[in-house]
Amino acid sequence: MKKYLPWIGLISRLVLGGVLLAAGLLKYQHLDKSQMAVRAYELLPIPFANFMGIVLPFLEIAVGILLIIGAGVRVAALVSGVLMVAFIFGISWAWARGLSIDCGCFGGGGQVEPGTANYLPELLRDGGLALLGIYLFFYPQSKFGLDRHTSNGDQNND
Amino acid sequence: MTNQKPGKDNFTRNLVIAVVVGVVLIMLVPTLLSKKTDTSAKVPASVSADRGYGIVFNEELKGVPVLDIYEDFQCPVCAQFEKLQGDYIESLITAKKATVVYHTLSFLGPESVNAANAAACSADEGKFLQYHRALYANQPQENTGVWSTDVLGVLGQAAGIMSKKFTSCVNDMAYQGWVNNVATAGAKANVNSTPTVFINGKEIDRNSEYFSADKFKAAVERG
Repeated sequence: MKKYLPWIGLISRLVLGGVLLAAGLLKYQHLDKSQMAVRAYELLPIPFANFMGIVLPFLEIAVGILLIIGAGVRVAALVSGVLMVAFIFGISWAWARGLSIDCGCFGGGGQVEPGTANYLPELLRDGGLALLGIYLFFYPQSKFGLDRHTSNGDQNND
Repeated sequence: MTNQKPGKDNFTRNLVIAVVVGVVLIMLVPTLLSKKTDTSAKVPASVSADRGYGIVFNEELKGVPVLDIYEDFQCPVCAQFEKLQGDYIESLITAKKATVVYHTLSFLGPESVNAANAAACSADEGKFLQYHRALYANQPQENTGVWSTDVLGVLGQAAGIMSKKFTSCVNDMAYQGWVNNVATAGAKANVNSTPTVFINGKEIDRNSEYFSADKFKAAVERG
């Protein structure tokens, strides 16, 4: 089993990092909309929501890149885990309060036609991604990464 | 396997982390600053900074309802709204029965910015309502490259605008700073979709009042 851990780590890194990078880049294209998406959760004070709407895509891009290249995996995994838990909380909050919003996960966002919001798949996806983050935090060793323990692993195995 | 030995590998790794974080921060800071209101930006005719940089009609009236309309010229639902309520809203303006403030948001992309800028140029010509109508009547698919500044300049003819000043205003993106200020004000006003209509500062009911001619009229008259 130990032998496979670095490969599981690599797949987790690429999936979680890839999703975050894609989500960040899509939001970066339309920052006004990203701000709108955060405001629509009605969770944060407006000025802070507007601030987060801009910071979030940059944070996702940075963490996504670090995960993909495998540098600082533990910290990146911790940050993405925290992000996913925050997203899960936000979506659950919107669902519980009966808001009709686009989660804004991959760009988009804001209010949608009442009744068209679909929160369950989003919660399941973010739940899965949160698990990947937690896994990588506890088992950060993985193939083809820049972190020291990972390159040791490569040398021993190759 | 997880034994950390000091070595040159850590240097590469730390350098990579520093570069990634550094580049992202260098891009983030100017982006944050660009979302601030630029009070020195050039402002088109009949705009009120106190009203979120919107284009205002009948500012001087007292005791009439105030309609704040937030829209994006590329938004298809805004075009439907214009088709259904546009004539009525224009009649409120011409009959001096309401103060109407148009907030031209631009969150759908660069062509929304082009269109909002062109609309500001049309306000200088005193033809905002006509140009507003022409934009929606000729609304293309979002961000397909149709609404270049050239096309938007020519579209002025559909609104009866013939001046060279208008064309150069559209081409030079003279009001880009103002467009950004409108967007920033819309964000502060917590506008989360388009169209959004406030009557006397309160949003009308999204479930019923936007797309019913009778209910919209009732909401305006209720004030």
